Formats: sequence, C-alpha cells, structure tokens
Amino acid sequence: MSELPPIPRPEQRPLPPAGGPRKIVLPPHRQRAGRPFRVKAREWISRNLFPSLGGTILTLISAGFLGIMVVGILWFVFFDANWNVITANRWLLFAGSFPREEAWRLWTSIAVVMFLIGLAYGTWSSLGRRDTLFIVLTGAFVIFLMAHGGATIWSSIWFLVAIGLLYLGYYLTVWMPRETSPRRVWHQRIVGGLLALSLPLVLVILMVAGGANTRQFDGFVLNLILAPVGIVGGLVVAIPLALGRASNMRTIKWTCTAYIEVVRGAPLLGWLFVALFILDDVIGGDLIIRTMVVLAVFTGAYMAEYIRGGLQALPRGQYEAAQAVGLNQLQAMQLIVLPQALRISIPPIVGQAIAIWKDTTLVTIILTLRELKGNADSAIAQSEFIPDRIEAYVFVAVVFWVVAFMMSRISQRVERAQGIGER
Amino acid sequence: MPSGEVPLFYRRGFRNVLQQAIYVAATAIIAWYVYTSLDLREFGFGFLSEPAGFAVGSQWLTEVDGVTNSRLTMYLVGVWSSIRAVLVAILLSTIVGVVVGVARLSSNFLVSKMAMLFVEIFRNTPLLVQVVLWYAILLVGAPIIQNVVNVGDFFFLSNRGIAIPWPVPSAGLWGVPDWFVGVWVIALIAAALVALRVRASRQERERETGQPHFANRYAFTIFAAAALISFLLLGVVVSIDRPILEGTQYAEGMVIKPEFAALVLGLTAYTGSFIAEIVRGSIQALPRGQTEAANAIGLSGYQRLSLIILPQALRQMIPSVTNQFLNVNKNSSLAYAVLYDDLFRVATVIQNKAGHALEMFFVIIVTYMIISFAISAVMNVLNARVTAHRL
Repeated sequence: MSELPPIPRPEQRPLPPAGGPRKIVLPPHRQRAGRPFRVKAREWISRNLFPSLGGTILTLISAGFLGIMVVGILWFVFFDANWNVITANRWLLFAGSFPREEAWRLWTSIAVVMFLIGLAYGTWSSLGRRDTLFIVLTGAFVIFLMAHGGATIWSSIWFLVAIGLLYLGYYLTVWMPRETSPRRVWHQRIVGGLLALSLPLVLVILMVAGGANTRQFDGFVLNLILAPVGIVGGLVVAIPLALGRASNMRTIKWTCTAYIEVVRGAPLLGWLFVALFILDDVIGGDLIIRTMVVLAVFTGAYMAEYIRGGLQALPRGQYEAAQAVGLNQLQAMQLIVLPQALRISIPPIVGQAIAIWKDTTLVTIILTLRELKGNADSAIAQSEFIPDRIEAYVFVAVVFWVVAFMMSRISQRVERAQGIGER
Repeated sequence: MPSGEVPLFYRRGFRNVLQQAIYVAATAIIAWYVYTSLDLREFGFGFLSEPAGFAVGSQWLTEVDGVTNSRLTMYLVGVWSSIRAVLVAILLSTIVGVVVGVARLSSNFLVSKMAMLFVEIFRNTPLLVQVVLWYAILLVGAPIIQNVVNVGDFFFLSNRGIAIPWPVPSAGLWGVPDWFVGVWVIALIAAALVALRVRASRQERERETGQPHFANRYAFTIFAAAALISFLLLGVVVSIDRPILEGTQYAEGMVIKPEFAALVLGLTAYTGSFIAEIVRGSIQALPRGQTEAANAIGLSGYQRLSLIILPQALRQMIPSVTNQFLNVNKNSSLAYAVLYDDLFRVATVIQNKAGHALEMFFVIIVTYMIISFAISAVMNVLNARVTAHRL
C-alpha cells in the first residue's frame, strides 16, 4: 500500500487503544459519529435507560413487556411445544419426494455452493467474529436437527465438510491483494463467473445420470432452487426492460412501460394463476418450468423499476462524456452507464431478492408444487401431528427468517463497502 | 455536415425508424404467437351473470344469498371483503409503522432495540407464513366456544372469533325510515368537511397575522352544532347492538372472524415493519439542525416530534408509504391461504366451477388495478397537500 498523506483528525475524537486490530481509517467526512470510547456501565445505564421520570416509566413498561414475551416464548419452546412434528418429518420438510438414495446429490450441491460462497466472501468481503458466530449457531441448529431422532451420522459429517469448504474457499482468496490490478480483475471475473455458473451446475448435479426429475424437487430444496432462478431470471429480464423504458424511441418506451405496469398491477398469486391455467397453452412444459418463467417475469418488472431509478440518478454528464470520448451507444451503455446504474440500484435489487425469497412460499397456495410451507401443511395433516400447527409454522418462519436475514446483512455490507448512500 | 452526404443507413432518423420497425415486428410476432396459442373459442364474459351456486363466507354489511345470485354479485362481495381487509390493514399498519419507526430512534436503549427486533422479525419472514401462523394461533391458542372468554357481556373471545358491540340504526325518533341514517352520515361528512375548511383558513390567517384565531375551537363548535342540529332534524336513533351467545354461535353484534383477524394481523405486522423502516429513514434524512433547533427553542419531546420532525419527514415518506399501501392491496390476495373469501379466492372458485381462466384473470387484474389506482389517487392528493406548504 502506498503512503497516504496523514489525515487530519478532529481533536475531540479519542484514539482507539494501541495494539488493537488494525482499523481502516476513513477520511473525516465518512467517519461516523460513534459513541464516546469508554463509558462507565453505571453512567451508560442512567443515560440510556433512566434519563428522567418519563424515560424510567417507559423503560419499566417495555422491560415488563419484553420479559413477558421472552418468558412466554421460552415456555412455549421448551415446555409447551411438541417438536416431534419437525424431527419426525425432517426429510419431508427438507426434500419431500426427492429420492432418498440420491441424497448425496443434495449434499454435494450444498458443499459446492458453500465453497463458492466462501470464495465470494474472500474476494469481496471478510468474515468477522459475528459471521463466525452466525455460522456456528446455524450449523449447530442444523446438526442438532439432524442428530435428534437418529439420522445417519453421515449427513452431519457432510454438513461439517460443507462448512469446512466454506472456510477453505474463504482462505483461498482472502489473502489476495484487493487493490485494482489486472490480476485482481481476473480474480473477480473467475469468481463471478463461477457464481453465475453455480445454478446450472447445481441443477446438473441434481438431475444428470439418474438423478431427480423436475417433479421431485420438493420441500426446502424447491425454495432454494426457485429463488435463485427468480432472482437471476429477473435480472436478465429487467436490464433490457429498464433500458427500454428509459429509451427515447416511443414504441419501445411505451411497450416496456405497459409491461412493467401490468405485471406490477396484479399480485404474484394472480400470475401463478396464469402459470397454472393459461401458460399451459402458450409455452407448455412442466408446471415447475412455467412457475420459474412467471417468477422471472414478475421479478423482472420490479427490478426494472429499480434499475430505471439508477439510470435516472446518473448525472446527464455521464452520457455526454461517453459520447464525447467517441463511444457508440452500446459501448456507452456497457462501459459507462450500466455499471454505475446497477451499482446505485443494488440496495433495492437485494430488497427485491429477499422479497422473492419470501414469495417462493406462494407456489404452495394454488399450484400443486410443495415447497417448505406446503410440506409443513402435509406434516400437520398427519393424524398424530394435527395439534402441532403452531410448531410447524414457527419452524418454517425461523428457517425463512435465517436466510432472509443473512441476505439483508450481506446487502448492508455491500452498501457500506461501496459507499452507497454516502456522499 | 449536411445530411445529404451521410449514407442513408447511418442517418440517425433512419436508424431510429429501422430499429423501431424491427422491434415492432418482433413484438407483433410474439403477440400473434401468444394470441393463436390461447384457447379463445369460448371467450366472453357471459358466464359471470349465471347463478353462482356457492356461498361466500365472512360477509359484513351484506346479505347475499349464494344460490340465486349471479357470479358477478358473488365476486363483488369478494371485492368488498378485500377492500375491508385492505382498509383496516392500511390504517393499522400506518399506526404501527409510525410508532415503531419513531421508537427505533428513541434514545431509550430498550425501546429502540425492541423496535429493531420487531422490524427484523416481521420484515424477514414470509407474509404467507405469518398469516397462517396467526391463523393457527387464533384457532389453537384461543379457547373453544364452550369456554368462551366473556368480558362483561360486551366482548366475547373464542376460536370462532371476537364478538364486539356494534352500532345499528333503528327506527327514528319520529318514526322516520331507516335510510335517513344514510342522510345523517352524509350530513356529518359535509359538516366535517366544512369544519376542516374553516380550520384551515383560520390557521392560515393565524400564520399571516400572528393573532390567535382559535382554529380548533371554531372547527369543533361548527361540527358539533351541525351534528346536533341534523340529528334532531332527522331524528335518527342508533342503538348499540351487544353480542349474545346462542349455543355455539355468536348472534347480534359484530363478529371479527379468525380468518379476517389473521389476514389483517399478518398484513399489519408485515407492512408495519416496512413502514417503520421508511419512517426511520425519512427522519434520519432530516438535517440534525432541525432537532437541535427544536431543542433550542425549548420544545418538549412530543412537540418536537409532532410539530417539527414528523411534518417534514412526511413529505419524504409519502411516496414510499404509498408503495407499501399498494403492496397491502396486492398482498391481501394471501387471504386464500386462510380461506377468507376475498376477491381472489372468489375468482378462483368461479374459475373452478365455470372455467374461463383468461377472462377471470382479466377481471382480477382490472380489479386490483382499480383499487391500486384509488389508493394512489388518495395518496397523491395527500402528497399535494403536504408538499404545498413548503416555505
């Protein structure tokens, strides 16, 4: 790293103690006002919890409310709930009608994806203490679920291997220098390409040479397949749509606008209705294929709006400068406009990705596809588990929450790393 | 360079026309393919006027007989059910969103962390799972009707729903017909509008002159006087109908069914968490000087919030909040999962009985667009009012 000129520091900001972890020093205008460095616990409590009479009352009321909630939830989780509905139906919830003897295909896919996630983390981000805690907690939860009720030890070992691969991928890439250089560009291209190829690769692992057919994608596996298809397909649909809507050719602009507005006009459930009853005549194919098409078409319309926002946020000077240096329209789009516009629209696009992750549950409602929530319905339809509806749905909610929460954290990190939203 | 020297193929105008011609041709081919592959032999909306032959549950303010009425009527009942759920959910989620959003910025550590917990939990869970979970809690968690919780014969709570007292018009003071109630409601609305207008103009004058003009007092007096006079003139009596328990059924009063409650609770918590984030974002986007200035002139915390912070943040949040309201409208179709007979569910039932999927889809999408349009029209008016006072 080349020597930077010293950055003037405001006097009142105390320095972190020497010998701690090396911190990246931001320029003053990007430093966030933190809390003062060392505050005594007593002072902190009196300032944040009991500042005045009203504040004290507020604290007491909310502490009471929180206490009641926590005690109630703990009571439910440890004494009231009958979690057998989950442990007895693990495979049903996870993969449903996916052939059991082909389970190694699922484990291999998970291991591959974990490895790629590790590579991506090592390339663009870093795993901090919180991430490790999150991985350990999630891993413990999954292994607890696998071990409870006597699954084979191999599934747990496979899962541990997958986590190991995540760290392997991470340590393979994290030591590489982050400064822009031709080598770094190639590094990013390779990892990005692998990530882009991961979805087809996983489908190949799951399906080739006597694997599952599309009707056997079931349970949580179906969510894990549908959501990336919706997100990637949505982006593929969205970029031309956004450019079309921002175009100054009227026919293109009007049709793209009409497409976006019509798709956004009806709920996803309505479009799944189309997949079920109408699309059969138009494109045919399996129901799952039609569902994927509908998810891509639906997500595309929303993402197109966000990308259009990014296009509009670009100063006109960028277009003009691209023309001035003699780029043609295609080059200007590809090299100047789209990279910046996409970067601006990352936060809402990730928001939409989280939305589509949650919306994969909707395929259960009117289609005959059974994803995690649908298989939870099947689980509580068994006569011995009829009273355990709440447990089953709480479990489903927690599983979806973990993934969605992870996605939102990653997006926050991307935003911070790129300085989006800061001027 | 004069355009004559540029070859035709490289001229901008020609390029434009050529590109658009190719585009239109490609679109037309796709459209033609879709059109020919659809089964349009029986296309038409005549099936909607045939007798329905099914009943629709959770009716309210409507008495519809499912056997003789047409499918269209049943569909409109479903639309009314949807609108009801959407309106209640919008109202509640706005309240929840503003409270939680403000609480997230509270200086009280516990309060702000609890608000954060609320947002993170409800924002990152699928709405469908939330709705069925609320439904499961209401069905399994609430007592069965034999052990109904009775609060002073006013409120009943069981897994058949919550029964509450409800105002019902009855014969008037001087034996006036029932429809006079409608007249009275219209009179009240008119009085309210007049009162609001007077309040606005007096506030305006107060701002201009600096003299107190007692806007609220005037408005309230006008409204109260108008309400009283019209009440005496029209002679309407509104009695409160208390719920009673007849065997295992609720009778009288107003019953909030678990289906409706689950849908509204789910929509409220989910949308509320999104609105909370919008509220927090738009408050944080205000310059810090606003808070400091409010503190400097000695306003209390509540005054600071209601007079300085929220009115300014409102301008920024209305477009995003409008988007959330439109989402509430579309998400109300999840009623299907808890068997609440909203427009989407009734439409699928009709499609199940009569076929005509394409026509039913047209009907569904047009209905959702009309409701969305109404919501955005109202919000646009609000937005215009809020941004008009910019100084």
